[in-house]
Amino acid sequence: MSHESLMRYLDGEAAPEERARIDAAVAESTELQRDLAIFRAMKSDLQAMTFGLANDHSVWGAVHRRITRPLGWILLSVGFLTWVVYGSYLYLVSAIDGWEKLATSAIGLGILLLLGTVIYERRKEWLTDPYRNVYR
Amino acid sequence: MQPEVEREVVRMSKSGDPRSYEPLVRAYEGPGLRLAVGMLGSVDEARDALQDAFIKAWESLHRFDLTRPFGPWFFQILRNQCRDVIRSRNSRDRREVRDEQIEVRPAGASTDPARLHERNEASLILWKALEALADDHREILVLKELQGFRYSEIADILEIPEGTVASRLYHARDALREELVATNAAYP
Repeated sequence: MSHESLMRYLDGEAAPEERARIDAAVAESTELQRDLAIFRAMKSDLQAMTFGLANDHSVWGAVHRRITRPLGWILLSVGFLTWVVYGSYLYLVSAIDGWEKLATSAIGLGILLLLGTVIYERRKEWLTDPYRNVYR
Repeated sequence: MQPEVEREVVRMSKSGDPRSYEPLVRAYEGPGLRLAVGMLGSVDEARDALQDAFIKAWESLHRFDLTRPFGPWFFQILRNQCRDVIRSRNSRDRREVRDEQIEVRPAGASTDPARLHERNEASLILWKALEALADDHREILVLKELQGFRYSEIADILEIPEGTVASRLYHARDALREELVATNAAYP
């Protein structure tokens, strides 16, 4: 008898004819009876094993945060960029003196550069953080 | 979850609604955690792997075939995630940590203290033997005995023929028996 047949028999996956054939073989062999008894004991104990896992700690919160966060960032970025481009256009075509436009643009660009640098550094730090996916 | 309900929930999730993904996460996180703990031997690592598997499943939902059940597909992702974790960790250090973290005990606690102690000891011996097995062997025993999957489901998850499932199960059980003999443990 093959090992595969014995496993199907043990796990209740054998067809009725195969099962009858193995029943007969087991009845005649003490070695097979011993093997089956050991496998059944291990099977039963493995099935009964529990790990004392608490069920009050769903991962849904963390999963939800991680699947919605990129969407939030995309919407925020698109909205922000739209307003910046539109605002810049209105400002540039307005009737304000050239030097005032220049000074205000410098301030705006400076703020954007600083913001961009901070975001870049935070992202770089996040990508190398070994604990970023740890559930808290 | 009923198959029709599950199919509808998966269809809604595929359309990109994160809220409709919640019932799937809640339905599969229990068995998923048990599978991951069985494969990784650490509750913390198992939770991280489970989270990552749910994220990967969400990101791959557009490729999911709605005519198939969600469970085997998700467990395949989780199994691959656990394998990645096993590959990337320092096994020696982690093994020491795992021993402290897992609380193994038999289900259906007996009221007889002597009998309970005996069953606890047997469970612990069996768990340590299971942990000492090769990844392929431990994995298939976890899928069969801890998760209770049928051969066809295991074949789907591991992407192997059903005949190979039976054959691998025999070698895994034989290896477990050898491991118990080698540790000279009083089992059962």
